[in-house]
Amino acid sequence: MSAGVPFTRPWVRRALACLLVLVFLAPVFGWASGAVGYAEPLENAAHATGAADAASTVLPGLLPDYTVAGLDGPLGTLAAGGIGTLLTLGVALGAGRLLER
Amino acid sequence: MHIPDGFLDPWVAGLFWLGSGAAIGLAVRRARDELGDERTPLLGVVAAGVFAAQMLNWPIPGGTSAHFVGGAFAGVLLGPSLGVLAMTAVVTIQALVFGDGGIIALGANLFAMAVVDVFVGYALFRACRGVHETGAAFVAGWGAITVSALVVGLGVGFSSAFAYAVGTTVPIMVVGHALLGLVEGAITAAVYGYVADARPDLVLGRSADEVAAPEVGA
Repeated sequence: MSAGVPFTRPWVRRALACLLVLVFLAPVFGWASGAVGYAEPLENAAHATGAADAASTVLPGLLPDYTVAGLDGPLGTLAAGGIGTLLTLGVALGAGRLLER
Repeated sequence: MHIPDGFLDPWVAGLFWLGSGAAIGLAVRRARDELGDERTPLLGVVAAGVFAAQMLNWPIPGGTSAHFVGGAFAGVLLGPSLGVLAMTAVVTIQALVFGDGGIIALGANLFAMAVVDVFVGYALFRACRGVHETGAAFVAGWGAITVSALVVGLGVGFSSAFAYAVGTTVPIMVVGHALLGLVEGAITAAVYGYVADARPDLVLGRSADEVAAPEVGA
């Protein structure tokens, strides 16, 4: 990935620092939303129409619900956030480099 | 906003796949001319930033919580083609790696967050930027997430799991996300304003020596 990310540019270094801050904030917000027990509008719509039980999981994903096996609670959220952010950076950057050609 | 599997009827999911597939294909074709040494890293950073920001949930009044979606932000900063690509990467990784949003419903989630949110945000920004550039970014963030919520509300509302209760799903989705949209718009405006001031050359349609559109009241 380092070949694709121009770390020498100041704006890139600042942007990556911002990404790091966002990743470290993820467990805090995850804990807070769980503590207050709020639901998203789509969940509210599902409850209002009796569709809540219709949700099914065809593919749970490698890290379901932003958790990492063996890492509980905020640490798992932090790891999942870091992995996801790096993966997204790599995939978007890689797709961009491929399309440049 | 992420629709799980089981919520959409097959024909609804299929229509969303067709729409998102066509839009993403078009975006890929157009993106080839826009990428380069500056904009390709920006594509990666914006996509990663949107992913990280989407992990931050905040409560809104009425027992609801939501998170920054970022499609309008991506569209405003990158333009519609690269914005669609950035959001496609985010939404696809969320579904495949984290199980956030269904696989059958992935077409619908891409259509709402990677297509409608990006294009509506970009269109609103273009329409309003001549009046007030930062304000236009706010309107783009707020309006685009509200229209995306309308699309999701219609999609689930026309499905049997939701008892075809469009009259219930649309108001819940639109009102909930219209409130969320105030935060979405504020974040979009704040980050856009910062980038446009610090590095105007990174913003599509502007260059370092270009003067920003006059701010109302300035």
